[in-house]
Amino acid sequence: MTSLAQAVFIGSLVVTLLVVVLLVAVAVEHGARTRRLARDARRRAELTPLVHALLDGDAGDEAAMTAAPALLDELVLELLPQLRGADRTALQSVLLDRGVVTRAAGDLTARGAARRGRAAVLLGNAASVEHTGALVELLGDRAPEVRNAAARALGKNGDAAAVGPLLAAVTAGQPLPPGVAGMALLDLGVAALPSLRAALDAGFPVAQTLAAELLGLHGDPASTTTLIALVGDDHRDPHARRAAAQALGRIGSPVATAALADVLLGSGHAPLQCAAAEALGRIGDAGGLRALTTGLRCAPTVDVRGACADALALTGDAGHRQLVAHAQLRSATGEAARSALDVLALSRRPARQAAAA
Amino acid sequence: MTRVLVVDDDPVIADLVAFRLTRLGLDVSVETDGQAGLAAARELRPDLVVLDWMMPRMNGLEMCAALRADPDEALARTPVLLLTAKAQEPDLERGFAAGATDYIVKPFSPRELATRVTAALPPGSVAP
Repeated sequence: MTSLAQAVFIGSLVVTLLVVVLLVAVAVEHGARTRRLARDARRRAELTPLVHALLDGDAGDEAAMTAAPALLDELVLELLPQLRGADRTALQSVLLDRGVVTRAAGDLTARGAARRGRAAVLLGNAASVEHTGALVELLGDRAPEVRNAAARALGKNGDAAAVGPLLAAVTAGQPLPPGVAGMALLDLGVAALPSLRAALDAGFPVAQTLAAELLGLHGDPASTTTLIALVGDDHRDPHARRAAAQALGRIGSPVATAALADVLLGSGHAPLQCAAAEALGRIGDAGGLRALTTGLRCAPTVDVRGACADALALTGDAGHRQLVAHAQLRSATGEAARSALDVLALSRRPARQAAAA
Repeated sequence: MTRVLVVDDDPVIADLVAFRLTRLGLDVSVETDGQAGLAAARELRPDLVVLDWMMPRMNGLEMCAALRADPDEALARTPVLLLTAKAQEPDLERGFAAGATDYIVKPFSPRELATRVTAALPPGSVAP
């Protein structure tokens, strides 16, 4: 055998050995992982009856509860966000009694961002209202993921005192994304409504916009008057006014028709006019027909004419007649009317097909 | 014994609901998707179904509609209680349009769920 052949042979042998070692290592790791998962599943199955018993307040003696492994806390934390009422309170007490909440509160000031974030998530799931202040402080944390975790935790812990800080955080030096703040505020539910209504007249336009969007999503009729004042005020931020118009559309009160009609015909801001037209369509009040028809004929942009046509399609037979009349025109108005009629015909087709079947 | 079928792909929720309903003295079976739930409903002929909305293979609304359209009239009339995280008004309308008898939004109170199940069943089905 030549020295070259010997080298090739030895090289191949080494590569083969490495591949074999690698395969064995993967197999060992896979086996260990499978055993670990099976062990966890077995432990979870053993602990689940204990969690259920905790809900009824008969988990046996206190020593057994204290001796239960940390996996019990995981099970409780998984279940907590799905629950409300007495069962939720019972599980929160378990976390308090086992010192989980106290340890998490201590971790809020940990050096590692991941640890601070995990602690915030845990306190949110545990709905620990007494830590609202500490979580609010974390909204200004240097790490964005910790700020986001703190916002989500504030949403889950249900304390309405967090509304103001969450709204303020979207305009802070290290701002919270409005989407994250919005989700947290939605999680707070109707408890947030009074502060959201107050926010329409205070703070920065970004916060006002967010407050208007959320009030619209809640369909909050009590905010109608303030939203009307906002949408009709030429000195206010156009984005906030647009959000107010959309909110009024979602709330659906005809009380807003006149203000929205004025904005549609009087504002020079096309996105705001489009939002006003859409809102008039959603409200569907006959009082908005005239403004929508005028907008369809005279609005300076194609977008606004299109929004007026789509809104007319939502306002019943009278709106439909206006669209048919304008569809004859050879202009942007006619095109918008024809397009709205096409969409209307498409949306009615499934209903007709169902009726025929 | 009064039979209840729980259909939820989240085992944590399914176990909890089964626990609460078993406490009422009900015979509870659990399935993890709509298709298996529909098959189980045809086999077990439960007195009530607790149904999640978002599930793999066949979602809760599809299963509910299929139950309502079943040629077996007794099965088609089975009370269905939707238990879902979908909390918007249009979702609620869609749930009832699909044939749900009652609608509970997650996060939920298992005690309230037990009360609603009791109310949906014929008097005397639940142990006092």
